[in-house]
Amino acid sequence: MNYYDHFVIPFVVGTAFMFAVIVWKWGRWLWKLPVADKKAIVRGVFSLDTLRAIREVVYESLLHRKIFRVNPVLGYMHMSLAFGWFLLIAVGWIEASVVLGTGTPLHAHVFFRYFDTAQHTGWNPFAFIMDLLLLMVLSGVALAWFKRMRSRALGMKRTTKHVFIDRVALTALWLIFPLRLVSESFAAAIKHNGGFLTGGLGSLIAATMDSAVIETLNSLAWWLYSFALASFFVAMPFSRYMHIFTEVPLIFLRRYRLHSTAREKSFDNFQIQACSRCGICIDPCQLQNVLNINNVQSVYFLRDRRYGKLDEKVADNCLMCGLCESRCPVGIELNTLRLNSRQKSIDTPALTRYDYLQGIDRSSGNGKVGYFAGCMTLLTPTVLRSMERIFEAAGEGVWWADRDGGSCCGRPLKLSGEVNAAERIMARNKELFAKHGITTLVTSCPICLKVFREDYNLEGIEVIHHTEYILRLVHAGRLSVEATGQEFTYHDPCELGRGSGIYEEPRELIRMAGRLVEPEHNRREALCCGSSLANLVIDDSQQSKIGSAVTSELEATGAATIVTACPLCKKALARDASVRVADISQVVAENLRVAS
Amino acid sequence: MGKQVVIVGGGVAGMQAALSLKARGAEPVIVERGDRLGGKVAGWHKLFPTFTPVEDVLGPMLQRVQEAGIEIHTGAEVEALVDGGVAVKGGGRFSGDATVICSGFDVFDARRKEEYGYGIYDNVITTVDLERMFNEGHVATVQGTAPHRVAFLHCVGSRDEKVGAHHCSKVCCITGVKQAIEMKKLFPAAEIYNFYMDIRMFGPGYEELYRRAQLEYNINFVRGRISEASQAMGGKVQIKAEDTLIGRPLKMTVDMLVLIVGMKGGASNASYAAGGLVVADNGFMQPLDPFCGNVLSGKEGIFYAGAVTAPKNIGDSLNEGSAVADRVAEYLKL
Repeated sequence: MNYYDHFVIPFVVGTAFMFAVIVWKWGRWLWKLPVADKKAIVRGVFSLDTLRAIREVVYESLLHRKIFRVNPVLGYMHMSLAFGWFLLIAVGWIEASVVLGTGTPLHAHVFFRYFDTAQHTGWNPFAFIMDLLLLMVLSGVALAWFKRMRSRALGMKRTTKHVFIDRVALTALWLIFPLRLVSESFAAAIKHNGGFLTGGLGSLIAATMDSAVIETLNSLAWWLYSFALASFFVAMPFSRYMHIFTEVPLIFLRRYRLHSTAREKSFDNFQIQACSRCGICIDPCQLQNVLNINNVQSVYFLRDRRYGKLDEKVADNCLMCGLCESRCPVGIELNTLRLNSRQKSIDTPALTRYDYLQGIDRSSGNGKVGYFAGCMTLLTPTVLRSMERIFEAAGEGVWWADRDGGSCCGRPLKLSGEVNAAERIMARNKELFAKHGITTLVTSCPICLKVFREDYNLEGIEVIHHTEYILRLVHAGRLSVEATGQEFTYHDPCELGRGSGIYEEPRELIRMAGRLVEPEHNRREALCCGSSLANLVIDDSQQSKIGSAVTSELEATGAATIVTACPLCKKALARDASVRVADISQVVAENLRVAS
Repeated sequence: MGKQVVIVGGGVAGMQAALSLKARGAEPVIVERGDRLGGKVAGWHKLFPTFTPVEDVLGPMLQRVQEAGIEIHTGAEVEALVDGGVAVKGGGRFSGDATVICSGFDVFDARRKEEYGYGIYDNVITTVDLERMFNEGHVATVQGTAPHRVAFLHCVGSRDEKVGAHHCSKVCCITGVKQAIEMKKLFPAAEIYNFYMDIRMFGPGYEELYRRAQLEYNINFVRGRISEASQAMGGKVQIKAEDTLIGRPLKMTVDMLVLIVGMKGGASNASYAAGGLVVADNGFMQPLDPFCGNVLSGKEGIFYAGAVTAPKNIGDSLNEGSAVADRVAEYLKL
């Protein structure tokens, strides 16, 4: 038997088209990868990473474990659709192979109930399982439908505003499963090959309709079902549903240690098109919930970039606080993609720019420990003075890199997209660090810390933040902190917390000095002070609005002092605070226990 | 008994408004948060551009207020605007047929420019501190010595995007020139520097005084803001700046750094906003328009005079005190 009917044509054409586009896209992206990335893939394929990737694909692409963690109802919705559909295809293929034999064409599996040749008597376990799966998928569709109308009920204040192609694909997707139910029910009315669901509906149809009408409607239903599938498959590679397949290679490539960088590259496409536009990134964004800016969140940024419509105003309007990145169920490197989209237009520094830095060395002192205050620390001299007292109390010999003026670490330039210019400044600083033979570099500024750690490649020099350094001094018995009866609260700076993973060191120090009361949002969920260097669009009053919202939350703890560990955050929070705002180094320096 | 007018604030604008209204037959009531009349002016020593002692201006005014028998309530801080008057902290109320808000401005808190070290380093002071020293008759460094080199820094808290203050505080340029001359008179051997972005001499006699400061008093004017300060040996202050006229950075050690702090909208403006009035983007109250409506609030029966709507000098504030009486009289059909 050739299992052919005209209605299979839309499905076959749509499917072929979809796979052709996907293969073409992936092929092009892979081909354009830099050589180093290609080598990494070759190294990774025959390693354990492949097995780990397979496991992750099952967990994330099919079961959606990360969405479950963020929001269980959303997790079920995605899982029932993705895993449910996957099982429908897999079990359906097994059933068709058993009944029709192997080597039958694809459409015969997909439209199996229509082409079913078996004589059915009694209970059919396959039909039962398939109906159960269909029910599961339908429950997901119902939830998705409900979410469109009442997103708050599913824990989302705002959902993504979708573009036309997404709406086409979404409509087709929602129609596929109800149409499948109708088609299979009509087939069951004729062939009695349904399970508890389609079979039940089939008996009802058979009992109430004329057999000629049933024949006509059966044919019509299968045509519509095939059209719905075809519409979805044709729209799919151009819509958000491209994520369904793209997340799979992304997981593998990530396991092979491919990452996006400050400069755009072909790998970015895998990340950009793996975005499902679920919109989980919208609600936490402070630009949205404080300033009511609604078109710049990661979901819109990625969408605009994917369709080549990215406006500088969107790319530049982001605090890069990383709150959305920490929530993204696909784990897209949102900050890096945002960064490298800023690079193109402005990054052509004159050849002589920063030449004046050549040979300038204003550093002073001697020691294996170097201290880099950074611009913002020099603008908040209480921090610098506290560090001077701490170094002195610990008896540390210090090489002061920039106490008497020095150049910028380069990160502000990098964040504004001037990567090439930033690298020139970095090279100068690197020379300076190497020249003075330090083995540890302490900085008070998390912004500097991040760029030293990630971009400088300082071999033989350990880069640490002053919170880590001070805690080490205490643990080594070189310093001790007097306990006071004071209450402190702590603001996690983005660059230190989410950016560098330093959460516990400052807290441990604060607990030595007094009692720590946590604000509502802390650690990975901490809010941005609003003064982030990364946002090139919002003005001072908008920054201050974000800052005062954060300050109010910190003041609500009732603590007498707001402690932070970033000079920029300190300045931002102090603007509206009615209580004292202090750096962690101040808290320590003020409560040093005198050695007896 | 004439119609009552509540005057919020007993600085020069408030006193003038009260005097003018009294002369027209109204019964003004001054509600002052401080323990005396005179406002910010009372904390000053001598006034620009004539070096007139403050007592010569405030003294006769206070006497006139007293002689006119104007009702005064000191230690009464207005908390909210209520229908037909104001409510003060502690539960009191003052009602009248009209309200004139003359609560003035706040001085910019120099600690917000932490890079200048106010409140952190020795010998970093503000113009307000220096006037107090003039009044006390003892100007010296924390170490008790006479300063040999003094730097004044203009525009602290004015025209500064970084602290969210875009506006010009108008009177600081001339204040800096006046105080520089006073310091030179006290310490003739000292070097005095003024670091500025622009010198804006808007009033009569101001430009002339600026010229004299250079020609007669040998005061140095350097175009360029100070970028940061740090403590040097012996309580001195090291400053870094750029001389933008010659395009070179400079470093200097001074015995005293005077921050010429600007004006900002008063803290009580928020409570007026809660009462339905409009606060402008710069933090001052927004008058109906900057022309014929400059003392009108846009809300019936509520008027403004003085620095509550923008930075102003004493003369301007006095003029508005008179002008507002005109508009209140019109409103109350006096």
